[in-house]
Amino acid sequence: MKNAILKSLFAGLVFMFFACGETNTVESGTYQGTVDEVKPDKTEIYVKTDDNKTLELYFTDETVLSRGGNEVEFSELQKGQKVEVEVEKVGKRLDPLSVKILE
Amino acid sequence: MNEIPDFWRTEVFHPLSVHFPIALLLVATLFKIVSLWSRNKLWPQAGSILLGLGILGAWIAIYTGNQADGIVSRKLCDPTVLKEHENMAYITAWIFTAGFALDLALTYGLLNFKKNIFKFILVLGMLTGSVLLGYAGHLGATLVYQQAAGVYTPSEDCLEYN
Repeated sequence: MKNAILKSLFAGLVFMFFACGETNTVESGTYQGTVDEVKPDKTEIYVKTDDNKTLELYFTDETVLSRGGNEVEFSELQKGQKVEVEVEKVGKRLDPLSVKILE
Repeated sequence: MNEIPDFWRTEVFHPLSVHFPIALLLVATLFKIVSLWSRNKLWPQAGSILLGLGILGAWIAIYTGNQADGIVSRKLCDPTVLKEHENMAYITAWIFTAGFALDLALTYGLLNFKKNIFKFILVLGMLTGSVLLGYAGHLGATLVYQQAAGVYTPSEDCLEYN
């Protein structure tokens, strides 16, 4: 019982520290990766690039989302999809210019 | 010409709600520290009440912070500070929440062994939480004072105020 409580406390604290997401800033350019998380309420996605960086992208009015050459709604985005993103680095912020769903 | 924005914008509810839990959790920590030496039961009891209220306020502040995040992130020059602020806020809230669970377990007799050690662990956890709370607050302040997060910047000629 004692050990179980102590282990639970320790496991909880370790979980807290590792549950927090870390994102990366990259140079302006085009990157391919996988959608790691979609937040429809904020029109925001997290993309894990092929070189294991996590990009946090907030869609702007200028962001073009497409699939097979056709513009599609944000609701088409789902976790696990392969995407190609073109980003512009503004300060340390990444503005997505285009997001192409590859599958 | 710019228009003065409405005051009651979504991003304003975060600064409105965040200062209560900061004060409550810091004072709760202080009371729990005093209770390690004092025999007066008022200190631990008041500390527990403040801790409970502080946690409630902390999760409300996290909710309002999440709401504000969707709006201010698109305008920040360095959103990595916001991400760190968010991470620190979550870690702090979970530490105090775990502390509250431990406090409840001690109060209601669920932990009837090595009580003094657990009380010490509780205070240590709350102290750690307080330091992280201060750092999260510092990051929040830099977002406002260095990047004008959620702040309306008047035009140079102030014409919108005429």
